[in-house]
Amino acid sequence: MECKTIHKELIFFLEGDLPSEKAGQIEMHLNECSACAAFAEEMKETLGILEAEKSPAVNPFFYTQLKAKLENRESAEPAFFKRVVLAQVLQPALFSILLIIGIYSGIKIGQPSPVKVFSTTQFEQEAIPYFNEMKTESIETFLME
Amino acid sequence: MVHNKHDAEDIAQEVFIEVFRSIHKFRADAKLSTWLYRIAVNRSLNFIRDNKKRKWFQSFEDSVETKNRELQNIAATTSDQPGVQLENRQRAILLHEAIDRLPQNQKVAFTLSKYEELSYQEISDVMDLSVSSVESLLHRAKKNLQKKLYTCYKKKCI
Repeated sequence: MECKTIHKELIFFLEGDLPSEKAGQIEMHLNECSACAAFAEEMKETLGILEAEKSPAVNPFFYTQLKAKLENRESAEPAFFKRVVLAQVLQPALFSILLIIGIYSGIKIGQPSPVKVFSTTQFEQEAIPYFNEMKTESIETFLME
Repeated sequence: MVHNKHDAEDIAQEVFIEVFRSIHKFRADAKLSTWLYRIAVNRSLNFIRDNKKRKWFQSFEDSVETKNRELQNIAATTSDQPGVQLENRQRAILLHEAIDRLPQNQKVAFTLSKYEELSYQEISDVMDLSVSSVESLLHRAKKNLQKKLYTCYKKKCI
């Protein structure tokens, strides 16, 4: 049997999952090959950790802690409800209102401010004299003075 | 599954609270232990997922601090026979890492089989799978585990 095959089957051998014939072959190889035997020993040690961790000592205060937790949860229930209402109803409502206000003010700011439109004749009568003095005072009258 | 006694106790307490609250939902078509195991597995998987997220957002300093604490724990457990205990502790860390890297289904099946010593039938009930699927999951889990342990052995991790 090759070392490569051993490396593939070793865990099943250690777990006792292999048929007796194959297990015998592996055992024979392990007796002959020191490298594989060392790896098998290492695997055995590592898998042995599982056994050690299997039944941890039960915490003597487990039941007391559980009871306290249960009581705390029951007393904290209204607060929890409030938190849920706050998180799931009030917050989205507040954010929606803020969003609507934002959009509305955006539209308002974006709109051009209304411009007072004068009729052209009125504009000419009122504004032109300030810009065009020639109309009100011709050059002849100006020179005559 | 979570490889930490305090976390495991917290999860166990959560499981009992959930059972206490939703016992009326329990249908008598499955064993109570199966139902308990199912809740416990789901809670543990949720915990692991949340923990991963937390670790992702955890700052570098925090992760270094956690690592330091782990190393201190290793040092603290080495009072009697320092060499042997330290080696065992390293083996345990290595084994936990190898188990953690297994795909979720394989990890659950392996944990239920090895730590809880459940039969294939019981695991199939808890995981809602056929017995042959459980057998195949366990076979692949062991193979993957061996591969990981062998890689580490070659690299002389311990």
